[in-house]
Amino acid sequence: MSFYDYAYLTSNDAMQFVKATGVTLYITLMSLFFGTVLGVLLGLVRCSKNRVVRTLPLLVIEPLRNSPLVTQLFLIYYGLPMVSRIMLDPYPAAILALSLNTAAFMGVLVHNSVSAVPDGQWEAGLALGHSRVSTFCHVIARQALRLLVPQAITLYISQLQCSSLVALISIMDLTKLGQNLALRTLRPFLVYGIVFLIYYVISSPLAALARRLEKKLAFHY
Amino acid sequence: MAMIEVKNVAKSFGTLTVLKNFSVDFTQEGVTVLLGPSGTGKSTLLRCINGLETIDEGDILVNGRSVKEKKNLREIRLDCGMVFQRTVLFPHLNVMRNLTMSPMKLLKTPQAEAEEKARFYLDKGGLLSKEKSMHNELSGGEQQRIAIARALMMNPKALLLDEITSALDPEMTSEVLKILENLAAEGVCMLCVTHEMQFARHVASRILFMDKGSLVADAGGEEFFSTIRKENKRISKFLHFIGE
Amino acid sequence: MYKLNFNFLNKYGGMLLEGMWTTLALVVCCLAIGFVLGTVMALFKQSKVKPLRWFAAVWVDVLRNTPFLVQIFFFYYGLPVLGINTDPLATAIIALGINTSAPNCEIIRAGLMAVKKDYYECAAALGYTRFQTLWYFVLPISLRVAFKSLVNNFVNLVLTSSVCFSITVVETMGAAKIIVGRVSRPFEVYLLILVCYCIFTYIVSFAAKLIDKKIRIKL
Repeated sequence: MSFYDYAYLTSNDAMQFVKATGVTLYITLMSLFFGTVLGVLLGLVRCSKNRVVRTLPLLVIEPLRNSPLVTQLFLIYYGLPMVSRIMLDPYPAAILALSLNTAAFMGVLVHNSVSAVPDGQWEAGLALGHSRVSTFCHVIARQALRLLVPQAITLYISQLQCSSLVALISIMDLTKLGQNLALRTLRPFLVYGIVFLIYYVISSPLAALARRLEKKLAFHY
Repeated sequence: MAMIEVKNVAKSFGTLTVLKNFSVDFTQEGVTVLLGPSGTGKSTLLRCINGLETIDEGDILVNGRSVKEKKNLREIRLDCGMVFQRTVLFPHLNVMRNLTMSPMKLLKTPQAEAEEKARFYLDKGGLLSKEKSMHNELSGGEQQRIAIARALMMNPKALLLDEITSALDPEMTSEVLKILENLAAEGVCMLCVTHEMQFARHVASRILFMDKGSLVADAGGEEFFSTIRKENKRISKFLHFIGE
Repeated sequence: MYKLNFNFLNKYGGMLLEGMWTTLALVVCCLAIGFVLGTVMALFKQSKVKPLRWFAAVWVDVLRNTPFLVQIFFFYYGLPVLGINTDPLATAIIALGINTSAPNCEIIRAGLMAVKKDYYECAAALGYTRFQTLWYFVLPISLRVAFKSLVNNFVNLVLTSSVCFSITVVETMGAAKIIVGRVSRPFEVYLLILVCYCIFTYIVSFAAKLIDKKIRIKL
């Protein structure tokens, strides 16, 4: 009998893998969506001319970027019900925590990308008679996007990895399933091999895309 | 005995032949200037002597040691100090450390001795005040003068100078050439690739003219500028072209 | 209105501190492992030997494209199958050290690429061997170039180390979880350690800025 005997995993387990992959993707995509929307908002506020307004997003961004995601997740899932009447199920709690975390990093990326566009571009736009908003939309945003997109994809990949942490609040995602099956079959190399493979197959093409876009979209002032 | 013997050397980069069946000897004396149009293998010859390029055919012996033997390279490079067109001072070390590091690490010279020697060379180059500077605080000419000092710190038997003034503006060029003239007067053996005709005329004890990978003329400095330039059309054309 | 209550610190403050020491020990060990492994992989990636290049490429690729939580479970449940029985802390150090070697590799490689061919030639012409060139010039220069990114990566390492409680290592987060189990004050406990992590990363970033000012070089 070979060491890696596939009989240890039944066809039912295969279905479980499919389902768990779905859960991982669902949570990742939901939190990336909300995180990106919120993050772009935070980033744009960071670009404001008003000093006070500009500093406000940092109150959200800095703690989120400088503390572990697990702690944030536990604070929301276990801590929030204690201080308010908000009692979150694991799913919304996970999506909320991941969204906030994504938003913080996204906010910084957006701000950096916009700041990287030279001031001369602003002056050129305004000199042509555009309003500030119009200059931003037509001149600045397009150039900033070229910088932002590859970095955002890299962030998305890292957030996909981070979504595995929801296993710690007992959501049956890929990681949790892997743990359960490893304990049941006592074949950790087989089970985790499969889990690694699934994550890799989702993540690696995105990484390749980010690298390609980075090369393609890069330009120098 | 010749210090450097170049025997039937051939070298090509891909399909481009740079040196073909090239032979020449250098003794350890005076200043030899290599002249010739760009891309005729002058720099490549120096780089081959120092073992920075491998040679395809033939052999080069430095004090009887072949550059083809990897184990000889260290000795050869200690014998022949080299300065490049785009010299880099090590950016994480100040001028003094740039000078003293190599003798201390490679020749096991005590620090005090190395520093004394470094100050001696810095003084000669008029750079004593720059001892603590970093490379980005120095002009190109100053960097090049320090690079020469750095090579001299290793007590080389000969200096290989590969177009060391080509990247400098005229003022800096004359600074560097003055140093070389002083060194020549002190009897330091040098092998230079240069386009500075004034320098060649004043300082060279021997001039080699190279074209398309082979030796066209090999003569004493005065002989070259008086007799040979008139006899050889190729050379007179070249000298005329660069304004001599 | 909920009233925050930090009274648990009287009884469990020591436990939390111990957890922080464990975190510190953990990340320092991983920093060393990750740095050495990262440097080796970066050199492999630049190597002329193809299998070494492939090995380093696969190493980095797999580590970057799979979650750390799965990696640490892999070691935690996998090592005993191979007959290696280690305590959770050692397992965590191995897993996290290996994990952090991947970004370190990329950062150090970028630093190595900043060292142009000219430096190699200069050093060679002065009579340095390949290894000496690497040791005296290439590494010192590239590490200075890479310093900022390396510190960023260290901050990431500290944050990631909190995941190690999942294999029963009692580091900061692990201690917090135990305390929550005893005093049922999850909000206060998690908020407190969240702030502690923030303070720690700020101190590291601030120190890094000071050091960077001193060692920064212009190429």
